[in-house]
Amino acid sequence: MKEKRGNIFQIFTRGDIFSKLSFVIFGCSNVVRGQMIKGLIYLCLEIGYIVFMVQSGVHNLAEMVTLGTQQQGMVFNDAIGIYEMSQGDNSMLILLRGVVTLVVTMAFILLWVSSIRSGETARQLKLNNKHAPGFLDDLRGLLNENIHSLFLSVPVIGIVVFTIIPLIYMILMAFTNYDAEHQPPGNLFTWVGLTNFKTLISSTDKLGATFWPILGWTLLWGFVACFSCYFGGMFLAILINSKGIKFKKVWRTIFIMTMAIPAFVSLLVVSTMLGKSGIINVLLQQWGFTSGPLPFLTNGTWAKATVIIVNLWIGVPATMLMVSGILMNIPGELYESAQIDGAGPIVTFVKITFPYMLFITTPYLITNLISNFNNFGVIYFLTGGAPSTLDYYKGAGKTDLLVTWLYKLTKDSKDYNLAATIGIVIFLISAVFSLIMYSRSGALKNEEGFQ
Amino acid sequence: MKEKTILGINLKQRKIAFIAALVMLISTFLPFAGVRGDTKMLWAVAFAVLGSGEAGFLGSLYLAAAICIVISAACGAFLFAKPSIKGVRVWIVIQAVETVFATMLLFASKGVFDRIGIFTGKFMAKDFGIGFWLLLIASYVTLHAAMKTIKVHPGYIVLVILSVIWLFPILWIILTAFRAESGYYVGYFFPKGLTLDNFKNLFTNDAVIPFGRWWLNTFIIAIFTCILNTIIILMTSYVLSRTRFRSRVTLMKIMMIIGMFPGFMSMVAVYNILKGIGMAQTLVSLIIVSAAGAAMGYYICKGFFDTIPKSMDEAAIIDGATRWQIFTRITIPLSKPIIIYTILTSFIGPWGDYIFPSMVLGDKQNSYTVALGLKWLTDFQRIDSYYTQFAAGSLLVSVPIVILFICLQRFYVEGLSGSVKG
Repeated sequence: MKEKRGNIFQIFTRGDIFSKLSFVIFGCSNVVRGQMIKGLIYLCLEIGYIVFMVQSGVHNLAEMVTLGTQQQGMVFNDAIGIYEMSQGDNSMLILLRGVVTLVVTMAFILLWVSSIRSGETARQLKLNNKHAPGFLDDLRGLLNENIHSLFLSVPVIGIVVFTIIPLIYMILMAFTNYDAEHQPPGNLFTWVGLTNFKTLISSTDKLGATFWPILGWTLLWGFVACFSCYFGGMFLAILINSKGIKFKKVWRTIFIMTMAIPAFVSLLVVSTMLGKSGIINVLLQQWGFTSGPLPFLTNGTWAKATVIIVNLWIGVPATMLMVSGILMNIPGELYESAQIDGAGPIVTFVKITFPYMLFITTPYLITNLISNFNNFGVIYFLTGGAPSTLDYYKGAGKTDLLVTWLYKLTKDSKDYNLAATIGIVIFLISAVFSLIMYSRSGALKNEEGFQ
Repeated sequence: MKEKTILGINLKQRKIAFIAALVMLISTFLPFAGVRGDTKMLWAVAFAVLGSGEAGFLGSLYLAAAICIVISAACGAFLFAKPSIKGVRVWIVIQAVETVFATMLLFASKGVFDRIGIFTGKFMAKDFGIGFWLLLIASYVTLHAAMKTIKVHPGYIVLVILSVIWLFPILWIILTAFRAESGYYVGYFFPKGLTLDNFKNLFTNDAVIPFGRWWLNTFIIAIFTCILNTIIILMTSYVLSRTRFRSRVTLMKIMMIIGMFPGFMSMVAVYNILKGIGMAQTLVSLIIVSAAGAAMGYYICKGFFDTIPKSMDEAAIIDGATRWQIFTRITIPLSKPIIIYTILTSFIGPWGDYIFPSMVLGDKQNSYTVALGLKWLTDFQRIDSYYTQFAAGSLLVSVPIVILFICLQRFYVEGLSGSVKG
């Protein structure tokens, strides 16, 4: 009978001396049961980790507690009697090295668990008088039952190195004072706890006076942009798909063109068109509609309205394309019977099309809402957050969303701690809406439903 | 439908169309426009404009519109006496032309009036009189009702107006790309002269705008990103969709949570890591970082794989196929739409990607991608000298992508809807 493998505590109590030993010396159990190469690989990795920790890892972690104590500056050298530039500690590198060490340690723990499990499997196979698979068998298994290890190794390493490590690093930064005044290598920064969060939400500070209006505009923008495009796209799709309209493909292509053009091109073009001496203002004056240029992008309220309208220009075709497919799936009998009952186009829409559509597209709608909260492109290329105002903290503008503010804080004013704090706030907003979506959508919960 | 219908003609709509046409006719005798009490009706304006001799194309609009109105009203009267479907069709065409003319008057009037000077003082849109507004509204009502009379979908009117709005910026950028006069500020829509120099300059003026270089950089990145990302996305989605292993759900949850952080929050850290391994300001780093994050976009592809019946895999396993063989011989051949969709999106991505390249490449202009280069051209110091080149560059980037996109639209929709045809 095959024993259940159990958790690592059960493995420890159940195993023989070699299994117990493999808790300390990796791969010991494997080597004893004939899996020579596998066991040695485990052992090598363990030795490698220990060497790394002794050489620099422990030091890295210890430094992380203070983030450096030796500030760069001039130090008097008694031996030669002059002031010398002393290198000092670089808090940023210390933090980065610390994070890397932490991630390596996490990987090491996973390796530990994996080696114990692997040793236990080998022991059980031996117990049942079966041949433990050799190294070549393992390699062959990579193409079959263990294909996930083969296929996921590259993506997982990529995500860990270029997403998880940077992310942990930035999250930690939200709890430091790494702002414009504390730039390494010249200055040190240190841990400050929750101070950043407190100043951000306090109503008295200038930061709070920037944060709350921007948060409000981000939420407003998200909802208005999302729903205006949703209804606009639905209207357009219904119009193009209605019975009497010919050349459906031509109409669809006209609108899709704006979607196919890279967003930065169309946004830059529109932004130059809307400038003070851009073509729109020129034409409006030529047509005699206005006597002077309109402040499309330079007045706070105007700019907000402008970005929403321009976003329609870009967003409506995308919704149209998606909704078109769904529209064709609505059973035709529903419409026929509605027509017999004397329902007009508006009643048909309110009672049939819209409920059906809403039912199917709720997940899309919420994903779209979240991506609109984070709609960097439209704001950045169109207004760049302008018009900026003195009421706001360093260069933030009236149309800035949280994301574009975050970008400005990192790129322009180098207040990395605030940027990280805002990043966490954005994460919280996204998380809340995602949770709503997941709790409401059956399709996502039941992934086996289709198979 | 309660209204009577004879021979496919809706009598109630015909009546509305006829009355609206009469209103149009009457409105030509009402004050069309006036500046400071000096008001004229449409006929007077039309003859004044023509009489001045320098009317040009736009000036003849007034008389053309007036004549169309008369013909349209006559058509309405004739069809009221003797209804025929063919007649209504002709009427719709005439009325459509008239509506276009009337709409153009709204935009052209100031230019024409100010040039000829039929009013003392500058003309503004608010100086249009009751006659004009009535004419404009009645034109659309007539057209709408006439279309409904023989059940032509009136949605065409909306579609045409929306198409004009949607194509306006695109038309502007095309015209600017071919414009002979340089400069950002020009006081007119249609260029005075056409030229190909803007395109030529992009490739010859290498010292200032190494556009050919930028284009090539982006193309190289796009090709590599496309290959690597597609492979990674397909592998990840296949494993997450078709196999079951411990920590599969955990992995998906972790990726979902990571996805909720704004992507470029960690940009600074990525830049530092790249600097640490000596790859900052290189194109390779863009490809590597893009490929490293590719797996996060597995959702759509996994959704497609989920719709391939599981029984196929099971049958193959019974026949002794390994997972690798199932992946290459069954899953891949069945997934043409989603593979093309993935290739397409990952190829298009780098062309529009701005934020990360701008962070990594900094001021190293030779390594710029087109997005960075074109944004750099619209900088306020350069926009005036290079606006037409910017337009030409935008066109060179957009046209291939638009063509690609439109050709592969089918796969775009199919890829999103799954392998099982309903």
